[in-house]
Amino acid sequence: MFPRKLHRTITAAAAVTALATLAACAAPGESTGGTADATGPIKIANVNAQSGQLSPLGKWENKGVKLAIDAANKAGGINGRQIQLDLFDNQGDPTVGTNLARKIASEGYIAMLGTSESAVTLAMAPILKDAKIPNITSGQSPKLAALKSPFLFLNAPTSVTYDETLAKYLVDTKGYKKIALITNNGTYGAGERDAFLASLKTRGITPLGDEVVTPDQKDFSASLTTIRQQEPEVLFIGAEEVESGLIAKQARELGLKAVFAGGAPMGTEPYLTTAGQENAEGSVVSSPYLSNDTDDASRTFAAAYQTAFGEEAEVHGAKAYDGARILVEALKQTGGEGGQKLADAIRATKLDGLLGDFAYDESGVGIHATQIGLVTSGKLVPQTAS
Amino acid sequence: MQVFLQTLIGGISFGAVYALVAMGFSIVYRTMGLVNFAHGSVVMIGAYAASTFYMASRLPFPVAIVVAIVVTGLIGLIIERVLRPLEGRDFDLMLIGTIGFGTVLEALAILIWGATGHAVPSPVTAAPLDVLGIKIRTYSLLVIAVATVATVLLALFLQRTKKGAAMQAVAMDPQAATAVGIHVGRSNAMAFAIGAGLAALAGGLVGPMLYVSPVMGGSLGIKGFAAAIFGGFGSIPGAIVGGMAFGILDSVAAGAFQGYSELIVFLVFAVAVMIRPTGIFGERTVNRA
Amino acid sequence: MKRLVVPLLAIAAWLLPYGLDPYAIHVVDVAIIFALLGIGLGLVMGVAGQINLAQVAFFGIGAYTCAILTTRAGLGFWVAAALAVLAAVAIGLVVSIPALRVQSHYLGIVTLGLALAFINWTTNAALAGKSEGISDLPVPPLFGVDLSSEYLFYYVEIVVFAIALAFALFVVRSPLGRRMRAMRDDSLAAGALGAEIPLLRITAFVLSGLYGGVAGVLYAGLIRYIAPETFSIANMFLLLAMVIIGGRQSIVGCVIGAVALSLIREVLVDFSVYAQLGYGTVVVLMVVFAPTGLAGLPVRLRARLRGRTGGDRRGPAELRPFTPYGEAPSGDPTGVVLEIRAVGMRFKGLRALDDVSLEVGAGEIRGVVGPNGSGKTTLFNIISGFYTASSGRVVLRGTDVTGAAPYRLAQLGVARTFQNLRLFGDLTVRENVLVALDRTRTSWIWRYVALPWTVVRQDRALSAQADELLDRYGLTDFAGARPQSLPYGIQRRIEIARAMAMSPRLLLLDEPAAGLNGEEVRLLGEMVRSLRDSGVTVVIIEHNMGLVMSLCDQVTVLSSGRVIADGPPAAVAVVPEVIEAYLGDSTYMSHESQDTTSRDATSQDTTSQDTTEAAR
Repeated sequence: MFPRKLHRTITAAAAVTALATLAACAAPGESTGGTADATGPIKIANVNAQSGQLSPLGKWENKGVKLAIDAANKAGGINGRQIQLDLFDNQGDPTVGTNLARKIASEGYIAMLGTSESAVTLAMAPILKDAKIPNITSGQSPKLAALKSPFLFLNAPTSVTYDETLAKYLVDTKGYKKIALITNNGTYGAGERDAFLASLKTRGITPLGDEVVTPDQKDFSASLTTIRQQEPEVLFIGAEEVESGLIAKQARELGLKAVFAGGAPMGTEPYLTTAGQENAEGSVVSSPYLSNDTDDASRTFAAAYQTAFGEEAEVHGAKAYDGARILVEALKQTGGEGGQKLADAIRATKLDGLLGDFAYDESGVGIHATQIGLVTSGKLVPQTAS
Repeated sequence: MQVFLQTLIGGISFGAVYALVAMGFSIVYRTMGLVNFAHGSVVMIGAYAASTFYMASRLPFPVAIVVAIVVTGLIGLIIERVLRPLEGRDFDLMLIGTIGFGTVLEALAILIWGATGHAVPSPVTAAPLDVLGIKIRTYSLLVIAVATVATVLLALFLQRTKKGAAMQAVAMDPQAATAVGIHVGRSNAMAFAIGAGLAALAGGLVGPMLYVSPVMGGSLGIKGFAAAIFGGFGSIPGAIVGGMAFGILDSVAAGAFQGYSELIVFLVFAVAVMIRPTGIFGERTVNRA
Repeated sequence: MKRLVVPLLAIAAWLLPYGLDPYAIHVVDVAIIFALLGIGLGLVMGVAGQINLAQVAFFGIGAYTCAILTTRAGLGFWVAAALAVLAAVAIGLVVSIPALRVQSHYLGIVTLGLALAFINWTTNAALAGKSEGISDLPVPPLFGVDLSSEYLFYYVEIVVFAIALAFALFVVRSPLGRRMRAMRDDSLAAGALGAEIPLLRITAFVLSGLYGGVAGVLYAGLIRYIAPETFSIANMFLLLAMVIIGGRQSIVGCVIGAVALSLIREVLVDFSVYAQLGYGTVVVLMVVFAPTGLAGLPVRLRARLRGRTGGDRRGPAELRPFTPYGEAPSGDPTGVVLEIRAVGMRFKGLRALDDVSLEVGAGEIRGVVGPNGSGKTTLFNIISGFYTASSGRVVLRGTDVTGAAPYRLAQLGVARTFQNLRLFGDLTVRENVLVALDRTRTSWIWRYVALPWTVVRQDRALSAQADELLDRYGLTDFAGARPQSLPYGIQRRIEIARAMAMSPRLLLLDEPAAGLNGEEVRLLGEMVRSLRDSGVTVVIIEHNMGLVMSLCDQVTVLSSGRVIADGPPAAVAVVPEVIEAYLGDSTYMSHESQDTTSRDATSQDTTSQDTTEAAR
């Protein structure tokens, strides 16, 4: 045991130190850590899942972002300042997302690109709003637009636009009336289901079937056989790339003849390879970015992507690329300044991007149209119908 | 009716995969009383190895699977060797150790193959059979056949060969086995290698049915384990029946309860385990308390 | 030195936020929540030995209930918080039901399945916001203090955490914690000592639900957004890694593990694959090389150092002589204590006992002998409640106790020892005895919350009794040792002391002389006589015929599950069937005294206790 006297001395000393510190600053956390200085590189954060179930999306997004920022830096940066792009892994977990939101706020990042998971973006939004950090997300949940946060922007349309375009093509142009749905109950699938059902409703169409599956499901026999008996002309698939592919494959194996239709995931490589080329043939895809071969801009982008990463570009990379370019344009306007000014600049940016002409409204949606493509011999071919 | 039959067929074809996974769990458990929670990750490694050899090295599909079995067998030996100091001492710690191994394998897969994963083209291209409107995938028939052959071979090995008999003896009474000159450590290592080999077989076969990715092991492992317990942990016929039963339960629940299927499946499982903890065929192991 | 730790930590905790930027304080806030979860998991898994992979679901229930009640039902935050904690406790209660039936890996997979079921529910239910979760949770109000500031929220958390940690430490060190640890080490022996195993398991899960719920509420107040991914299996395994790395049997270790891993996770957030590789590797290394985790390292290091410098500085520990009990003031020397009526026992067609009847009078020493496999231990297992007889009845002092659970019988005054020693390995000798001395019912635990000081007072009284008992059995020198480190003979004596600590009326001794040398056997005989003289009725299974002949008043001989002779030793020894039975198994007469490892065919003694134990 310690001598009593020493014990008391230490306690007293500690108390004095404590009081002194207390006097120095009344309440903790008064000083704000993240004032960006006007020299040195401009710090931009890219937050995306690099591990876990959704990491493939995150990796694609990061490649698109990197391509755009590298190009901007090569072209001289912003007023001579380089852009420093740092990648953060949110692991697809909203809690980690909130940690990262605080981290980028306190470490002087002035803008954020990502995430590809709407749930994570939703969790981060209030913190970024408080910290006045503009965020250009790759999420497409209508809930993001519903937040109407002045600091949140989407780099693509919401599910509503995707599915409205799809419904318009399927019902109005092609005249299909017998439609069935199969969607998963994840954030993406559930959003697709709501949006597509709404679009069908405005056209007075009741779907023949509406099957819900889980994101982890492997066997879809029950749902697909039920659908087969309903004999639909179109099967709407609302799921991520791989699951869409599995559904398409099993549907064909079960003898389902319907045309497959869905959003952007069905235009991607994993969908095509998982389903098999034969099974994916004729799938109707609503996407703002149909292929690397639609126009000069996409060809240039795809070539650069190929050179940089040695693989073919796809829709997620293109979305992220557009988002990053908008940010670069806005930064040029503010001269590298962040905060409210940068948010305003993003809103004012008009960009002729890979996905279309960006013009932001007050809900943070910049693009309001998608195109229809058909999978033909393993490639997405644009439809110029209607 | 048609829906039900088709669902049954779908359930059985995935059930065959669960059965192989469950058998891997059971062979290790009956021999050394250990639950190898890394088994799901070994299945994933097996799937990657088989599909990589099949697609990149262009080996014939069966050869690719055999190579994958060798690869995972070695991994099994490593896991057993590292955890050997705990054998017969602390069961729960070993279990947690295998969870640690699972995490390591998953991270290694991401480092080696990347996070994206890849689809595997089916080695059987024949069109599905049509029996009275019920479609049966030809590849599923192959999977079921392979699972059956594997079961028969395993049973023969355990009953007819000297090494197999030694493993049975270790399972019954390790001390007595030692007394008659059986090397218990070697027997355990072999059980682990066989278990891991079965994992590769399951993984290799499931590749073309699903999509190979670093996270595929999670649900295959959990459901395979549940299937093993369903059928009677440690029992080889139990693993087969449990795997089939779990596959069917999974598929039927997906049809009947849609998005809630997982909730229903695991509630049914929890209740089943509580009613009959020893499963359908009873636990086949000597408890080494 | 120790006295300084708490005030210094308190001051450090108070000053900590002043040195942190807004991001760092957030990391700390999250780490504290994980630390709370770690305590909960440590209690249920480390202390009570229940593999619980649903801890993350308890966390989720707390957070979701709080979110639903505030945003959907419009309740105030703190009302919702209280209800949320109750909900988590209730779910803890529900999840404990499987634990009454199954243990170990079975329990692991069932709880994991239930956790998956919970995640599935949150993803589907509109009430829980489906996969997008619930946003815009209200800021918890606190007398005008703005808790949206993470700095101020930190203080709320740290106060809650301090209380939670103190309560957990109190529980672990109290008689309840000791019972839980005893149950973890050996649930059969704990049951035989009167620990109500089912209630203890439920208590463990309720505690882990409580901590999960509190953590969930704090999470809801801090993040103010919840989604299913946060409560995923990946996070459950992370939590598990925290507890294992920290040291699951030490609450402080769990806290250290949780905080350390939370911080490391933040540092490595950009290298998450490597971080994952790192956790996995560290978990594997920990279980192999440091099973007691970080918290156990100092002890292990010290033990190693001591080993090198040549042992203890104290004088050599010695087993002192046993002080006989005084003669009992004659309770009821007459009457029948134990009556076995036509008991039969079958195991899957194997007939272990067949129509066995016997009566043991008060104050008697009854010997039960017979060749290997004759059903002696099976009979003990029936009397002490481990098995339920297939037929027949067991009557204790006129009360029918057939099929009663071991802890019920223990409460009725039946104590036993085991053929192959079942001392609690991770408890000290003293604690082994304390578990047996504690005669309070588990239902007494409301006092832990309401009147904690009475618990402390009671524990002190038990302590004094333990010292007295250890002294009587000459074990004082070994009070702080782990039983395994002691010689076999001493362990045998500890087991008898532990059984006697229950102040039993009927004592069952299963081969107490096995492995003892001649002198030790003689001392054992004296000890048993003294126990009998103090008023305890003794039934003893023994192979050492010399001891049986000299010690027992009556001897019952079993062969192939049947009673073949019953009477005074001298009379029994000349019964022809007995001689035949023993000659048939000639190994007996020659090896009887050295036969230490003889496994009386009933290795059912250890049947699947971990796995399929019935709800008792």
